Amino acid sequence: MIYGDRNLSVIVQNITGRQGTFHTELMNAYAREVGGRGVVAGVAPGKGGREVHGVPVYNTVKEALREHDATASVVFVPGAHACDSIMEAAHAGIELAVAITEHIPVHDVMLAIAYAKLHDCTVIGPNCPGLLSPGECKLGIMPAHLATRGNVGVVSRSGTLTYEVVDELTRAGIGQSTVVGIGGDPVIGQTFVDALARFEDDPHTKAVVVIGEVGGNLEEEGVRSTDLPVVTYIAGVSAPPEKRMGHAGAIIEGGEGDARSKVRRLAALGIPVASRPSEIPELIREVL
Amino acid sequence: MKLLEYEAKRVFSGYGIPVPKGVLIRGPEEVTAHLPELGDGVVLKAQVDVGGRGKAGGVLFADDAAAVRTARELFSREIKGVPVREILVEERLPIEHEYYVSIAVDRSSRQPAVLFADAGGVEIENKALADESAVRKVVVSPLLRDIPPFLMRELLGGAPKELAPVINSLYHVFQEKDAMLAEINPLVTTPRGVYAADAKLIVDDNALARQGIAVNRDLSEREREAEKHGFSYVELDGSIGVIGNGAGLTMSTLDLIEYYRGRAANFLDVGGGADQERVMHAVRLVASMPEVAVIVVNLLGGITRCDEVAKGIIAAGVAPTVIVRMAGTNEEEGRRLLAESGYRMLESMDAAVKAAMEVVS
Repeated sequence: MIYGDRNLSVIVQNITGRQGTFHTELMNAYAREVGGRGVVAGVAPGKGGREVHGVPVYNTVKEALREHDATASVVFVPGAHACDSIMEAAHAGIELAVAITEHIPVHDVMLAIAYAKLHDCTVIGPNCPGLLSPGECKLGIMPAHLATRGNVGVVSRSGTLTYEVVDELTRAGIGQSTVVGIGGDPVIGQTFVDALARFEDDPHTKAVVVIGEVGGNLEEEGVRSTDLPVVTYIAGVSAPPEKRMGHAGAIIEGGEGDARSKVRRLAALGIPVASRPSEIPELIREVL
Repeated sequence: MKLLEYEAKRVFSGYGIPVPKGVLIRGPEEVTAHLPELGDGVVLKAQVDVGGRGKAGGVLFADDAAAVRTARELFSREIKGVPVREILVEERLPIEHEYYVSIAVDRSSRQPAVLFADAGGVEIENKALADESAVRKVVVSPLLRDIPPFLMRELLGGAPKELAPVINSLYHVFQEKDAMLAEINPLVTTPRGVYAADAKLIVDDNALARQGIAVNRDLSEREREAEKHGFSYVELDGSIGVIGNGAGLTMSTLDLIEYYRGRAANFLDVGGGADQERVMHAVRLVASMPEVAVIVVNLLGGITRCDEVAKGIIAAGVAPTVIVRMAGTNEEEGRRLLAESGYRMLESMDAAVKAAMEVVS
């Protein structure tokens, strides 16, 4: 596992929102199943003193951390306030902030990441499904029932496409050490390079699936940086130039980030590239 | 969203960046009244959102006597298929030297990156690709309000110091206008000082509201309609409609269609929480494109309620064949509902796309 194990103790920011409430219960159901600590507190300004599915709510992260020894936060705060919440978490001493929120202005994200770095806080996301280490911990919104414990890491810019790949792996009998969605935005806290470095330090991870998208060249930077066996899949090879396919990160920039040339460059590095998700398990077997 | 040149120049000018004297005209005769203030000889620039505008014939020079005729000529043109409705008429600058400067979001360092080159002009991108040393780059911490002098010196190298305040002002534009890209190409020196001869500004789509931009012009009418429902939607030119949840999975579905040598008609990401109402709107929207013969619905996720999705598809009641692949809660109920109404639900995205191919071939 990377980023944390079953002892990870978590707070949820905007726990009283629809998503926050719903996923707090799912995260804690998973924690109960695997014997983990899960979500110990929630934050919602002005709503301190309440409870959400038995989890106490505080007005600020600082207050929550006075009563609980949490080190991680899952941020469900909507766009305009999300970055303030990441900075609040970092300032209060949270070491790992997982930002699920989408549609955050990119300048806010750059600021929040720079500020979090000053406070030694690692940011995953934004616009991500979070992370799941099967049998250990779940932070975020990934459907845990698709995953099974094993020795293949998965790192991805997508949400549901990650579930697709995890489902394919599980059906093929290939378990996962950690599945992490790093987010689809142009600026994200943890990049492929960062996640792959963690996988490399993880004794349970023997190979990694890198799921990329059209836009940027971070997939390539990532696979170049690691000695682990890697299999990649890049979504968006059929995307016409200059067309935006949902993720801000999927804008094709200056020829560098279009999926086809990305696939070509990865293949030139000798990295297996799956042409569709269902080919991934077979390619992983070959590198293991 | 991309701003047009004259809009970007208005913004730049508001930040103290000198721009050439100019007026926007919507008809050729309008140019006459402005000739005295613009001096002898003008530049006419079509205000169209296309790359390589100059090479495509979108920029013309004229002396005063030929200004109206040249404007008429430019209004009659299409620049890469885009009709010319507005022309920016500007004074001709006595250019001494051209430079290039741009500020963009650098994914790799997660900070703004400032790029500068000693030579500007239309060929800068090719030059930069051919010779990396032709363009200098510095990254600036987003925690800083200004480009610090040491970085500015590194950026400029031997270029004139008088460029520095203009570049710093451009950095303020970049920060305060939520820009994805702010570019001046060329940035020119003249005997009268430094000018932004051209201007490019792309505003972050996620920040349009706080920038006071109500309508995203980059979207077609149907794309705007889709945005109202919270969908990400792009029109393409094939006959297989696509609805998915999540950008990655939806793109992957499009790729799979291409893999099986089909052509997708669109990209539609319904976003999170695909309920009955949203699914119905999505199916109707895709079915409203005349070319669509079959629609592939590919939804995956722990919280997707398959019975809700099924009801949405059935409620849409559209003519094209709808093929469904979904996984989530209440899967069996969803399958039963679809089967009752004669819809097919398949186990994998490969199977769903293959089935769609059979319909169109």
